Amino acid sequence: MEQIVFYSLSAVTLIAALGVVTMRNVLHSALMLGVALMGVAGLFAALGADFLFAGQIVIYVTGVAVLVLFVVMLAGRESDLHARQTNEKWPLAVAICAVIFFGFWRCIAPYAGTPTRTQPEPSTRAIGKLLLSDYALPFELISLILIAAMIGAILFSRGGSAAEDAP
Amino acid sequence: MSLSHYLVVSAALFLIGLFGALTRRNTIGILMSIELIFNAANLNLVAFNRYLHFDALHGNVITLFVMGIAAAEAVVGLALLMAIYRNLNTIYAEDFNLLKG
Repeated sequence: MEQIVFYSLSAVTLIAALGVVTMRNVLHSALMLGVALMGVAGLFAALGADFLFAGQIVIYVTGVAVLVLFVVMLAGRESDLHARQTNEKWPLAVAICAVIFFGFWRCIAPYAGTPTRTQPEPSTRAIGKLLLSDYALPFELISLILIAAMIGAILFSRGGSAAEDAP
Repeated sequence: MSLSHYLVVSAALFLIGLFGALTRRNTIGILMSIELIFNAANLNLVAFNRYLHFDALHGNVITLFVMGIAAAEAVVGLALLMAIYRNLNTIYAEDFNLLKG
């Protein structure tokens, strides 16, 4: 049962990720991004991280993927559908990825026989306690970063200069 | 399932994202590939947390922080992209050759 869940979720994730990088229509690759993020959420659930499963769906699938979809539809042009979407260096990129995969394989091989020893248990309570004790300072800092990102996004997307907009 | 299964999936996800970031001409495609790379890193963190350090949840908490940073990055990146599109009327990376224009 566990194998079926793992392999089907991995297949969905990796096929959708391949769709993200190879689809010609950017709108389709944005939709595939949503599927891939959903697959990663499923893998989180398979790993017993229930809070991250919910967080992944809320932040990524319904936040980031929808935002990307909006920008694709705002910044797209008709001619994009017929233009080549990859540059001519893709064999070099495949070679780079193959070399890095061999490096990764050397790192992964020692963990081949590491089984898990515990049953997963609900993690939300423990995560909340950690966030307000050990990670209190990063927790406050990330709220600062989110405020800065919000102000930056408003500033960049406002358009035109402030003098033009003023009555 | 052993730890290496999850590590292989995460390595493949990272490499697909890297391939996309290297080859896409469309800047939105590059940003999407970077999201895939973030997700590969998150999957690694959670898998190591589950298999090697199962007595604490530090990997899960750090994953939450990575998610927050990634969301902020996506918002600012896409807003910058819209500003560039308004000025240059293109979203292809090879056309971005002006610092001020």
